[in-house]
Amino acid sequence: MSKHLRHRAIALAFLVLPAAAVLAQQMPPAPGTQERPQGSGISREISFPKIAEGKWTGPRLADGQPDISGHWSNTIANHNNFTDPQGGIINDPSPRAQRPGGPREERAPSRISDPADGQLPFQSWAAEKVREFQANFNNPIKPEYVEPLARCAPGGVPKSFYWHGYEIRQYPGHVLFMFNNGYRLILLGGRPHLPERLKLWNGDSRGYWEGNTLIVSARNLNGKALFGRSGEFFSENATVDERFTFANDGKRYNYVAVITDPTVFTRPFTVTIPARRYTEADTPNGWHYEASPANYDGKALLHERHERICHENNGGFGSPAVISIPGQKTN
Amino acid sequence: MSAHPIRSGPTSSKPARHAGFYLALLLSLFAVAGQAASGNIPRLNGKPDFSGIWQTTSAAEFDLEPHIGREDAPPGPGVIEGGYIPYLPKALEQKRKNFAERQSKDPRVKGYTLGVPRMIYAPYPLQILQRARDITVIPQYGYSIRTIHTNGTRHPVEDNDFWLGDSRGHWEGDTLVVDVTDFYDETWLDRAGNFHGTGLHVVEHWKFLDANTIEYKATLEDPDVYSRPWTLSVILHRHREKNFQLIEDYRYTLPYDQYYPPKKP
Repeated sequence: MSKHLRHRAIALAFLVLPAAAVLAQQMPPAPGTQERPQGSGISREISFPKIAEGKWTGPRLADGQPDISGHWSNTIANHNNFTDPQGGIINDPSPRAQRPGGPREERAPSRISDPADGQLPFQSWAAEKVREFQANFNNPIKPEYVEPLARCAPGGVPKSFYWHGYEIRQYPGHVLFMFNNGYRLILLGGRPHLPERLKLWNGDSRGYWEGNTLIVSARNLNGKALFGRSGEFFSENATVDERFTFANDGKRYNYVAVITDPTVFTRPFTVTIPARRYTEADTPNGWHYEASPANYDGKALLHERHERICHENNGGFGSPAVISIPGQKTN
Repeated sequence: MSAHPIRSGPTSSKPARHAGFYLALLLSLFAVAGQAASGNIPRLNGKPDFSGIWQTTSAAEFDLEPHIGREDAPPGPGVIEGGYIPYLPKALEQKRKNFAERQSKDPRVKGYTLGVPRMIYAPYPLQILQRARDITVIPQYGYSIRTIHTNGTRHPVEDNDFWLGDSRGHWEGDTLVVDVTDFYDETWLDRAGNFHGTGLHVVEHWKFLDANTIEYKATLEDPDVYSRPWTLSVILHRHREKNFQLIEDYRYTLPYDQYYPPKKP
């Protein structure tokens, strides 16, 4: 099997493997975290530590940036469900659906950390649109009910941080996030954003470091990516102010973003997404750490990340459907 | 044209005593001037630093071979040493078929990853970000990022079909030499239907002509498609406009992007 198909097969395998086998391939929990006793796929922690903003005492790059380059992934769940991350796909009719049992507090908290109820402060028309999406997601009779990632659209902000694992590379004046599908290049320094009318899937990002925290303003977002299979969204008028706060041991960071969009919401709200680092000490896996051993003379294991293609190989991450669009090959 | 390094100074500890040294130094300086402005190029860890945003002004993307103007291409003198691609007879038939169907069959039309070497001479900006261990090439067109590993690693042991191939680079003096294998056969080389197979093997030579100009050469071999290796060459110019940056171009999303996000009734 060729590599591009193999990658997809790995991802699919994780959907059908018994839950215990999946968990066996995942890492033991970090201190201060709790794991779900069972789950499937990407689900893991049910709680995670806060990371205080403050001084950076870890290693630095030659240009002074905290050195956080490497492989990272979220610790909770994928984009199945935004506010109940381990709650499974809403209204999922699949026999292998992850059906959450037990009380809500036994699953990871909502990614909404403010308001305190964990719910998005939608205006009524927007809440109705989300309900409509959720009602139709599992049988998408209109194109707008297909989650865009199922068509290999870029993950956008913030969804890219809770899909698959990703790599961060750093350079003087730049922090590069390499997702499986698209990238974000954070330009450090005071340069102006692109003209406001330009709207992009992954937006336009400016940032700077303050101690252990990378502070980023994401603008020029087109709002098309949605937040996941639960259909939440913001409009092309949204602004996202992000803080990536890294633990000084370099093992974790928390993403905390304030999203403001008077077109869709009644007030700004805060999204929190925990992430952990993956290294050669971890076993590669199809969700968080799609790495392979490098072919070289060194004795130590060295991982590298191969090409990621979604669109060209029609490997849509399509639960439940990728519908045919004229001029567009699909699977 | 040699791309080999030039020793920048004498190795003897007492060279100044010898008149011959001055002659050698003089000749050496001429040689430097004739090859590249190696004293003035940006460097990272002693190696040329290609970091920046680059773009060709050539018409290579429209047709690598010499061609007159046509509806979908400006004229161009071609960028191939010797003029034309040495296709095997069957491959030449395929190329002609591709040309006839180019408006619909070119993977570019769907917004697909352009592949290597096409991503380098496509008429769009590309950004290079460089570390000691690797060189990252981000083309504005599409979303696929290319990594050129420069950490002494080799191609993967297993065979792979990568749209961008697998790139392993090393330095020969001030020239970056990149060996690229493990290709997929669904990328084209230009808009005129020039193509390759999965057996493609590319060897690239990147070097500064001056601090704002890169000479890029790619030698392509594919025994299933070409009768012999052949070489193309383009020049890449640095974007120096104030605040110039890449703007994402994920145009493969255009068939469906009107469906998102939901609109207020």
